[in-house]
Amino acid sequence: MTKLTEGAVEALSRGNSFQDPVLQLVNIRKIEAGSGPARFRLMMSDGLHTMSSFMLSTQLNHMIEEGNNLVPNCVCQLKKTVTNVLKDGRRVVVILNMDIVASAEDVGGKIGEPTPFFEGQNKAAQSAPNPAVRPLQQQNGHDAGRSFNRDFGKKAPSAMPSTPGGTGKIVPIASLNPYQSKWTIRARVTNKSSIRTWSNSRGDGKLFNIEIVDESGEIRVTGFNQEVDKFYGLIETGKVFYISKCSLKIANKQYSSLKNDYEMTLNGDSTIIPCDDGGDVPTVQCDFISIGDLESREKDSIVDVIGVCKSVDDVTRLTTKTNREVSKRTLNLMDTSGKLVTVTLWGEEAENFDGSGQPIVAIKGAKLSDFGGRSLSASFSSTLMVNPDIPEAHMLRGWYDKEGHAMDGQSLTEMRGGGGGGNTNWKSLSDVKNEHLGHGDKPDYYSCIATIVYLRKENCLYQACPSQECNKKVVDQQNGMFRCEKCDKEFPNFKYRLILAANIADYGDNQWVTCFQESAEAILGQNATYLGQLKDSDEAAFDEIFQRANFNTFVFRNRVKLETYNDESRIKATVMEVKPVDHREYSKRLIMDLRKLAAQ
Amino acid sequence: MSGVLEVPKTRINASMLSQYTNRAVCFVGRVEKVHPSGKSFTVSDGEGKVTTVELNEPLDEELSGAVEVVGMVSNKGAVMATTYTLLREDKGIPFDVELYNEALKVIHDFPQYYPFEGTTSG
Repeated sequence: MTKLTEGAVEALSRGNSFQDPVLQLVNIRKIEAGSGPARFRLMMSDGLHTMSSFMLSTQLNHMIEEGNNLVPNCVCQLKKTVTNVLKDGRRVVVILNMDIVASAEDVGGKIGEPTPFFEGQNKAAQSAPNPAVRPLQQQNGHDAGRSFNRDFGKKAPSAMPSTPGGTGKIVPIASLNPYQSKWTIRARVTNKSSIRTWSNSRGDGKLFNIEIVDESGEIRVTGFNQEVDKFYGLIETGKVFYISKCSLKIANKQYSSLKNDYEMTLNGDSTIIPCDDGGDVPTVQCDFISIGDLESREKDSIVDVIGVCKSVDDVTRLTTKTNREVSKRTLNLMDTSGKLVTVTLWGEEAENFDGSGQPIVAIKGAKLSDFGGRSLSASFSSTLMVNPDIPEAHMLRGWYDKEGHAMDGQSLTEMRGGGGGGNTNWKSLSDVKNEHLGHGDKPDYYSCIATIVYLRKENCLYQACPSQECNKKVVDQQNGMFRCEKCDKEFPNFKYRLILAANIADYGDNQWVTCFQESAEAILGQNATYLGQLKDSDEAAFDEIFQRANFNTFVFRNRVKLETYNDESRIKATVMEVKPVDHREYSKRLIMDLRKLAAQ
Repeated sequence: MSGVLEVPKTRINASMLSQYTNRAVCFVGRVEKVHPSGKSFTVSDGEGKVTTVELNEPLDEELSGAVEVVGMVSNKGAVMATTYTLLREDKGIPFDVELYNEALKVIHDFPQYYPFEGTTSG
C-alpha cells in the first residue's frame, strides 16, 4: 500500500520545508476565477492530518482539467511547493510541481484516519476571506487565502494585505534604495548567468547574477554561496517572481550595463517566490540597433542587436594565456539593413547554440569591437535569445522569408584579405619608428606591405626537440643523443626549426624582423626539414633558395615590443603572419587613403 | 605612326577622349564586340562607356577580356591602335577595370603628383 508521509502536513503548514512528501488528495474545490484561469484548492492528507489550504499552481491546472488522474483519493508526491504566510498568520501551501504516484482506483479509499490539522486550516472554501480584496482581483480569480494577490494595471504601490513574505506593498524597482529594507518587488528575470566560482587568498566562493525588469526599470541581483544553493534552481529566465528583502548598494558599473544606480545582493532574509501571473510585467527590454548602424558606434560599446543567423561555424576550443580552455563559436547575423556582422559566443552558450534553420537571434548587451572592422561578442553578461517571441523577431522572420534569404549581405567583419588577425592597423615602416610603436607596456601590432631586402642564412636553423608540443633547442650530447631540458628527456633525433632574421623595407624605411617557423617557411617557400637537409648536403641549392626569396613583397603582420636583455633595451619586431599582397585590396586602400588626404 | 610609341602616352578613359584628339593615348578596357572584318572592335571602360578601336591590319586571334590599346585618338573619337596587349584572365589575377578607372581618376585629379608628361620621355 502506498505509504503517505506522516507528519508532512504539520510540517508544511508550519512553514518547514519537507522533501518530496507523499500525500493523498482528499478533496478538490474549484475556485471560480471570473475572467482568468480557474484555481483549485486541495485538501491533502498525510494519513495523520488533513489540511485544505493547499492551492494548485495554475501551471498544474491541466492535471485536473485534462485527464482524470487528479481525483480525490489518488496519492501524489509533491515535488515543489512554496509556503506563503497570510497577514493573519495562516499559511497556504502552493503546489508548484507534483507527480501522481498512485491513482484513485489503485488506492481504493481514504488512507488512515486523518484528522483536520488546525493551525492554518480553513475548512470552508474561502472565496473572499480577505476583506481587502479589491474587485480587480477577480481577474485572476484567486481566493485571497493565497498570497498571490494580483496587482493589475500599473497600480504599483497598492495595499497588498497578503504579499509574500508579508512585507507589504509591491514597490517599483525604480524606487529601491539602500535606506529601505522592507519591500517586495514583482519582476521578470531577463538574464541569468551561470554559476561562477572563484578561489583566491581569502577563500573560495561561488556566485550568480540575474537581471530583472519591471514596469519601472531594471536592476541587477547577485547571490553568493548559500544563496546560490537556495535560489539558483528556482529562478528561470523569462519568469516573473516576487522578490523581497535584498541588500541594496551602489552599482558597480564595471560589471553591468543596466540603467540603475543601485544593484542588490541576496542575503539570508531574502525571499524569491514565483509569480504565476506576470503577464503585464514587461519582458526583456531591448533597444535594438540596426546592424548597418554598428559601423557608426564606438568600439567597446554595449549594444542590443537582433538578426537572422545566416550561417554558423562549428565550435572550437582555445586555450587562454592563463591555460584555461574555453569554447568558442562564431555566427553571422544579418538584418533588414542588408549588412552582416560576425558574432562570437563563448563557453556553454557556444556549445549549446543551434543555428540550424537560420533562427532569429537577439542579443542584449553584446560588446561591439573593431576586430575585423566591426564585430560583436557575447560576454557573460549578455543575454542570448533564439527565436524570441517579440515583434521584432516576427518582422525579421517575415522579411527574411520573403526577400532576405536571397541577399548575400555585406559583412562588417573582414574575414579575409588585408587584415590578418586582429585589428587591421596599417602602418608604413617609417610610421612605426616615428610613432614609437612598441615602446609602451604592451606589444603593438601592425600590418604593412614591405619588400624583403636581406635574409640572413647563417644560423637560421636550429635543432629542436622532436616532441609534438615542444620546440625548445636541444643540446647535442655528442653521443648521438640530444637532450631537451624542458621535457627532461633525451632523444636520438631532432627536428629542424627556422628562426630567420630578415630586413624588410618600404618606400620610407627598413626594419629588422625575426620570422619563426611558419612565416619563414612561407617566405623561403620550403619547409624547415628540407632546408636542414639541403644545408648539410647541397650548399649551392641552399643559397639559391635564399636568393630567390629575396626582393619579394608581402603583407606582413608584425609585433613590436621593447625588450630588455642584460640591461639593454631594444625594440624587437617579430613577424606573426606573412601573406601575399592582394593587389586589389591594396589598390582600393591606397585610393581611399589618397582621397582622404585630398579632402583634408 | 610608330612615333606614337616614342612619346609618353597618357592613360585615359572614354570620357576623356575628346580632350585628347590627335594625341597619343593608352586606353584600357574590356573587349565588347569584334567587327566581322577583324579591323576594329569596341571596348568598354571602367565607367561602362564604349569606344571603338580601329586597327591597321585585321586581327589574327580571338580577343576577349581586358585589353590595353596604345594609339592616337581620331577626330571621330575612336582610337587608331598602333599596338595592343591582351591582359589575359586565365593568367594571374583578373584585371579589375573599375578599380583601374578609380586609379585613373586619381592620376588626373592630381597631375602635380603624377608628372608623366616629362620633357625627357622615358
